This record gives sequence, C-alpha cells and structure tokens, in this order.
Amino acid sequence: MDAKATERPRVATSWEGVVRFLHKTPRAFLPMHSFPELQLIAGRGIEGDRYLIGQEAGFYSHKPEEGRQVTLFEIETLEALRRDHGIELLPEEHRRNVTVEGVPLNHLVGRRFRLGETIVEATRLSVPCRHIEEILGKSVFDPLINRSGLNCRIIAGGTLRLGDVVRPL
Amino acid sequence: MAKPIKTVSTIVSRIEDLGNDTKRFTLMDQDDWELPPFKPGGHIDVHLEPGLVRTYSLCNEPEDNHRYVIAVKREHSGRGGSNFLHERVRIGDKIGVSIPRGGIPVNPKGMNIFVAGGIGVTPFISVVRHLERRGCTNYALHWTSRGRPVLPDMIEPAMVAGRVHLYDTTSQTKPAIADIVKECADSGFAACCGPVPMLEAFEDAVEAWPDERKHIEMFTPPKRIVQSDVPPYEVVLMVSKKSATVTAEVGLLGTLEAMGVEVPISCGGGICGACRTRWIEGPPIHRDRVLSPAERQNELIVCVGDCAGPRLVLDL
Repeated sequence: MDAKATERPRVATSWEGVVRFLHKTPRAFLPMHSFPELQLIAGRGIEGDRYLIGQEAGFYSHKPEEGRQVTLFEIETLEALRRDHGIELLPEEHRRNVTVEGVPLNHLVGRRFRLGETIVEATRLSVPCRHIEEILGKSVFDPLINRSGLNCRIIAGGTLRLGDVVRPL
Repeated sequence: MAKPIKTVSTIVSRIEDLGNDTKRFTLMDQDDWELPPFKPGGHIDVHLEPGLVRTYSLCNEPEDNHRYVIAVKREHSGRGGSNFLHERVRIGDKIGVSIPRGGIPVNPKGMNIFVAGGIGVTPFISVVRHLERRGCTNYALHWTSRGRPVLPDMIEPAMVAGRVHLYDTTSQTKPAIADIVKECADSGFAACCGPVPMLEAFEDAVEAWPDERKHIEMFTPPKRIVQSDVPPYEVVLMVSKKSATVTAEVGLLGTLEAMGVEVPISCGGGICGACRTRWIEGPPIHRDRVLSPAERQNELIVCVGDCAGPRLVLDL
C-alpha cells in the first residue's frame, strides 16, 4: 500500500492566546492584587507570591509541589460561570496568577509553551477547593470542577506582562 | 513538613486604652496588604494561643480594608480571652485571625433600629460607619452604658446628627426595649447586642416578627445546657472511620476532642459557627444560634449539638 495514502492529513495546532490579568498575593487568605507585570523566576515561582519556593506562605505550602510555581486560569471560565450559573467571579477572585484568553489549558498538561518571554511546563490541572468558597463567600466549588486552571513549572524565567502572547513552543 | 496555615497573619499595630476597662486593638498585615473583606457587623476569631480562641466584632467599616479594629472590654472573671489581650498583647505581636464571618443585614430602604448594651455596641459601630459613609440615615442606635460610653469617637458624625441615643444607666432608668423597637413593628429591621437581660427583653419584644426582620448578636455564649435527658448515643466519624459513645456529661464536643478530631472551635457556645459540620445520619439536636432551618437539614454546630437517636454520623 502506498504510504502516502494512509498518511492522515496533518492538523496544525492553531491556538494562540493572550494574557489578560496578572495577580499575586504574599500570604495565605489575603486578597490577590492586580499587577501590569510579574517576574517569573525559573524553577522557583513568582517574585512576591505566596507560593514562591522558599517563601512558603500559601494555604497549600505545607504540601510542597515543584509544579505549582505559576498558575493559569481561562477567562472563558469566568464568562461561563456568569452565563451558566449566574455567578460573578472576578479575575482577582479565582486566586490563580495568570488569567488568559484563547488558551486551551486543559489540553496542555505535560506540554511546554510560551508565556510572553517565559517558557513554562504544565504539570497538572488545578482543582477547586472549599477554601476559595470560604474566602469569597460564593458557591463556586462545583461550577469550577474540571475548569479550575493549570499548574505550571517555570522553565525559562523573565518578565510577564499584560497583553503578552501565549502560544505553543 | 511546614504546618498548614489556618489563619490570616496579622501584626498588632496599635493599642489604645479607652478607659472603663476597654482597649482598642488595630491589627494589620505585616506589609500593609489589604485584609480579607468583611460585612458590616462581621466578626473574626482571634487566635491568642493554642486553645485560646475568641470571637470579636470588627469595629471599622468594610471600606477600611487594610486593618481590623476590635474593642475588648476586660472581664476579670471571664474565660481568659480579654485578660490575655489586656495583659499580654503588645504592639508588634503577631496574631492569627480567622477570615471574617457574619454581618448584620440592614434593611436598605426601611428603618433600622439597633439596640446595644455597653461593649455590645461593637458590631453596630461597623454598621453605623458603613451607613454614614453611604449617606444613609434610615437608622437609630439606642446604646445603654454604665457611665461614660467608650468608642463614641468612632461614630461621631452619627452622634452629632442625633442618630445615636445614649442612656447612662448610672443616672437614667434603662429604656424599655419594646418601646424602642415599636417603630419597626410593621416594617423595617431591628438588631440587638448586649448583656443577657437586654437580649431576653429584645427577644420578647420581637418574638412575633419574621426572622428576616430581626437579628440578635451575642457576645457571651449562653451557658451550656447539660441535657441529662439525652441518653448516650454513638457518634460515628465517616471520614476517619472512628466511633465513640457520647454521654451527657462529656457531650459531643468533648467526645470529638477525646477522639483526636480537629474541629475548629471558637466560641464553644453555638453562636459563632466556626465548628459547623455536615451530618449524614441523625437526627441531630440543634442548640446553636447560627444555622438557618435550611442549613440544619445537613449541618450541625457540634459544640452545642447532640443526637436525638442512637447514632449520629458526621462527615469528619
């Protein structure tokens, strides 16, 4: 059989997204603050964030995890919560660091991709926790199941800015 | 391994002696970061040392979100929290606090009557400041005090405007609560915080009112009722797969503690809600002042709860 005949047509990876919001907080429970840029440190985390390795000031810091150096969240989930559940969850409330648009986060586990000038590797999907309901007073636990963001390790650090492009390597 | 972080870390940035055995404490983040938000009339648990956790109302308004202000009257024969704060806490000390809970749900359009006794004014200080900030005048605060009241500086505009009615019980007779709340008998909202006799008078006065139009804020847990008529029952912990017999003498909370269960206890009297726990099999006996009838369908305040049957299964 002709090898060319069995070859499936190649489908190009076609996504490209953008950084819409950047947030961090220095300690557990404190509100997240918005910033125009964040400093990502390879192998450690975000400068000034509670989960920076060595800082250990986050709610889950007693459970060390190398792959939690930076966390991402889809802005499309915020829109879906509003549309499908009538829940107004703000970008500073989901407690992930980087809110992106147009990035299929759930498909990126195990893959490396560009986040502005930095390179990150997705380690696992984030899971929602009751802790966020306690902080916000909003019943968001169930609606966030399976779309609660992505945990990543920082492979190449740098400055991440609002409006930066997110794309496959 | 590091210990889990269970509280908001704060620093005591200011302590003011207001006289009348009352001190005002200002708590802030170490870097002046914004603190978790709260509602007017909300409160926090203050973790003073292991086993010593006390609940205090926040006196500043929610918009003032870089600090928590609490006012503490020293109760010499109290349970130890106010004495600890008055004697041992210094500026610069680190204190862990809970995320704020609760709040007083005012009626935005109708009249609101607040009845306070002494230091029981603290939750209303926050509410009054919040209302004044918004230019709302649809309220009156009736505040009894033995001698000179403390904290009036925090609600000065309201006092100047005549929306605060002070009653010095050393020279005046105590006001009739029923007369005070009469104004809201058909519509509006009334709330009370103060000593037990005042709360009882308030409860009598608003007994027939619908729940959504009244609120009682307690700052002294009611005395634990020993239910000698509750026969021993078995408590089963579904998650940790443990069970034990609860007797009236030890009670449910004492039994859980003896079983080594970590239940976040604060007031120990069924008024703060810190130990709310999901129940699976019962029926439980509810003695709290926190849960709504709907919440009681699947939650129990274990510090005052019991079981009406032979077996109580908890999601612990």
